[in-house]
Order: sequence, then C-alpha cells, then structure tokens
Amino acid sequence: MNAEGPIPNAEGQENKTGELSAAPGVSSAPGGEAGADLLATHIVRAIGVRKVFTMGGEKVHALKGVDFKVKRGEYVAIMGPSGSGKSTLFNMIGGLDKPNAGKVFIDEVDIAALNTFELAWLRCHKIGYIFQTFNLIPVATALDNVMLPMLFADVPQAEAQDKAVELLRKVGLGERIFHKPVQMSGGQQQRVAVARALANDPAIVLADEPTGNLDSATGHQIIELLREINRSEGVTVITATHDYKMLSVSDRIAWLTDGVIERFVEREALDIREGQTDAR
Amino acid sequence: MPETEKIAILPYRKVFQIAWQGLRIRLVKTFLVTSCITLALAFLTYILVSNGLAAQVAERASEALRQRLAREGLLEQMLSPEQRSQTAWMLGIALMISFVGIVNAMLISVTERFREIGTMKCLGGLDSFIVKLYLFESLCQGVVGTLLGMAIGAALAYAEGVSRFGAEAWSLLPATALLRTLAISFLSGVGLTVLGALYPAWTAARMEPVEAMRNEV
Repeated sequence: MNAEGPIPNAEGQENKTGELSAAPGVSSAPGGEAGADLLATHIVRAIGVRKVFTMGGEKVHALKGVDFKVKRGEYVAIMGPSGSGKSTLFNMIGGLDKPNAGKVFIDEVDIAALNTFELAWLRCHKIGYIFQTFNLIPVATALDNVMLPMLFADVPQAEAQDKAVELLRKVGLGERIFHKPVQMSGGQQQRVAVARALANDPAIVLADEPTGNLDSATGHQIIELLREINRSEGVTVITATHDYKMLSVSDRIAWLTDGVIERFVEREALDIREGQTDAR
Repeated sequence: MPETEKIAILPYRKVFQIAWQGLRIRLVKTFLVTSCITLALAFLTYILVSNGLAAQVAERASEALRQRLAREGLLEQMLSPEQRSQTAWMLGIALMISFVGIVNAMLISVTERFREIGTMKCLGGLDSFIVKLYLFESLCQGVVGTLLGMAIGAALAYAEGVSRFGAEAWSLLPATALLRTLAISFLSGVGLTVLGALYPAWTAARMEPVEAMRNEV
C-alpha cells in the first residue's frame, strides 16, 4: 500500500461523509484512527458511488454519490426503506455489481478492475454471504452446504469436512450435520447459512435481511450469533435490514434514503434513543 | 504432482454427487427427460436392428425362409428404397422432437433453480462449475435413458424378427454387427442429451449472482 498519497484524501473523505456527525461521541470511536494505518483499517471503502439503472426506458438513479466506509471488525447495519438503494449498495460491497461512477474498494482492491475470475475469487475467499431466503442447496445436507464454498476454494475434502463439522458445531447444529434443508426450521437453515458464510474465513460477512424470513425470537438468535462471530472471529459484519432488533447490536448504522446516505448513527447515540423508546 | 491431481479429481466427484442428488430430488422431471430419450432411442434401435435383420435375410437366410418371404412379398417391401427413406424421415423427426424436449426440460430446470445457481456463484462458483453440473446431470439422464431405450428397441426388433422369420432370426445378425448397431445407438443417445444440455447449461452459467438476492419467488 502506498503510504502517503491517498491518506489525506481518505481523511478528507472521512469528514465529508459526516461519518460520525450524527453522534455526539465522535472522538471516542473505536480503533482510534490515528494516521498511517488508516487505509488498512478500512475493509470496505466506497467513494462517490453512483449507479444508474435503465428501467423501461427511464433512468433510475439508485445511488447518487454514496461515501461509505467500514472498518475491519466493525458491525454495520445499512438501513433504509425499499427503493432506497440499499440493495444496490449492498451488492456493490459484495462484488456482485459495479458502480457507474465512483470507486468501491474491498480490502483495498478496486472491484471495477477485477475480471470475472478475480471477482469469483473475491466472493469465494473474502466475502461470506447470508441471504434473507437462506438459499441453501436443497438437495445437499447441512455438511455439504457448508463444504461447498471450500470446494470452490479447492480445499482438500478431508480438511473441508473437518472444518465444516467444526463450524456447524459452533452455530449449534453439531447434531444435525446430515440433515437436509427441508428437515430443518428456518432458524436452523439460517444457522447453516451462517456456517457456510464462514467456511473460507472471509474478511466480511454480508447479510441481506438475515432475519426477514424469521420470527422475532429466532431472528434475535441469528442476530446474536452474528454478533458473537463478529466479536470472536473479528469478522466484519455488514447487514442490510429493516429489522430494528439489529440496531442494538450494530456498532454503526447507515441510514440510506433515495440513493444517498442520510446519516450515520453510532451505537452509543442509539442506546439512548432506544432507552427513551422503552421508557415511553 | 499428486497434490494438483487430487484437487482436479475431487471437485468432479462432488459435482457428480450434487448432480445425482439433484436428479433424485426432481424425480418427475428427471423421468420426463429420461423417457423422452428412452422413446427416441427405442425407436432408433428398433429401426437399426430390424434394418440389419432385413439386410441379413437377403444375404444369409436359408433357402426355405427366403422363398417363403419372397412368396409373401415381404422381402421386396423390407428392402424397398421408399420404405427406407420413409423410416429415415420418421427417425429424424423422432430424434428432433426428443432433442427439443430435452432442451426444454433442461431450460425449465435452469429457470427453476436460478436462485440456487446464483447462490453458488455468490459463494465463488465459477461458470465452468455450473456448466459441469448441468452436463453431468444430462449425462446421467442420457446414459440411463439410452440404455433403457436400446433394450426396448432391440427387444421389439427381435420380437418382430422372430414372428416374421421364425427362430432363425436369432442367428441372423452376427454379434459384431449387433454390437456396432448398439454402439451407434448409445453414442447418438448420449450425444443427443449432452448436446441438448449445452445451451441450458450456458444460460445457467451466464446468470448473474445477484439473482440469488432476489427475494420474491
């Protein structure tokens, strides 16, 4: 990484995004972003990202210049109504889509510069996906589902199997490794999905509405599981969600409206608000 | 380099396993594609074997049988060019219909599984993996359907042969000729299925991984 060049720029961006401005506790942000390590500490950097879709001859501006950064090990929620550009931003962070303008860096790699193979490699090794609809392979057992990303990563079978069993134990499904998705509840399926997302030791876990198809209690368990993994493994977790339960565990929340990030909220600021809500 | 060898083989086994499980789960659709191939191949094998029998009758049958057939006018009918071109047409149409059926069934299987395919791509699966998956799937169906069809077709042809030529039919066709006929049938059956899966497999492989994120069904 080139030490001097981009750093002041990045710091400039920091202020411009108003990353922490909504919260009073700006300076006490974790990580103490002093100087030289700044670049390395950001696992995701989106700078001035714009995306335009053409729908029925009409141009839809899904993202209108979004600046968004996520620190390594952070737990960030992207919140916003449907149509706010949430999914579009999310897909770009996941290397599934490329911006029309602006840059998206994942672990300091510009995704626009990657070809199909490199993008597949990035998705395989750097990113773990969790979907609203679980998206397990229906014909495969829990074990095979967790082993699949390791198969794509050319991990030897014996090693992959050991790791898959270990991961399934970690998410509390040690007894069900040979169950097929249809034999499991929604919460259990999502646990398998969490284990699968962690298979290749990703730097980022992207969860798209992970609680959207779950009841409140099960959703809460999944959120807690994600939080626990975020703490114990140091994995960065980014979720797109409508679920207010997610707020209490997130380090930071980005509110997206009409293709722009309206504001960032730190958790400290949020706890107070939640307290007030409870008191009411 | 034992290490690289291992890596190269393992995924194939896994791909095959996933494809096979997929076929078992979608039993009805698997049955449709397989029966499509079975019917076409039964027809093809029947025609090939009975043509072979007829040709052999003209050359190798006993004097008594030949005279009987000539009396009944069967020999000329069997070897007439009109008859042959007619069967060739029917055969071509049957194979084409079966080919279209396979492409159609495989395309349905792709659209049905867009989320599964998208998920695999999200998890880092390459296009080639998806193509392999579909080709293996069609290969399984092709082999099973072809073998079944060949058995049915050959049985029909021999049943007809025995009813026409008596017990002599069994010894008419030399083993090498029969094997060659069956090999042609097998290759065309399996080839047809795999060829029919190429376009659907390519469609599946080009699918965007974002498809996995679509929440509506």
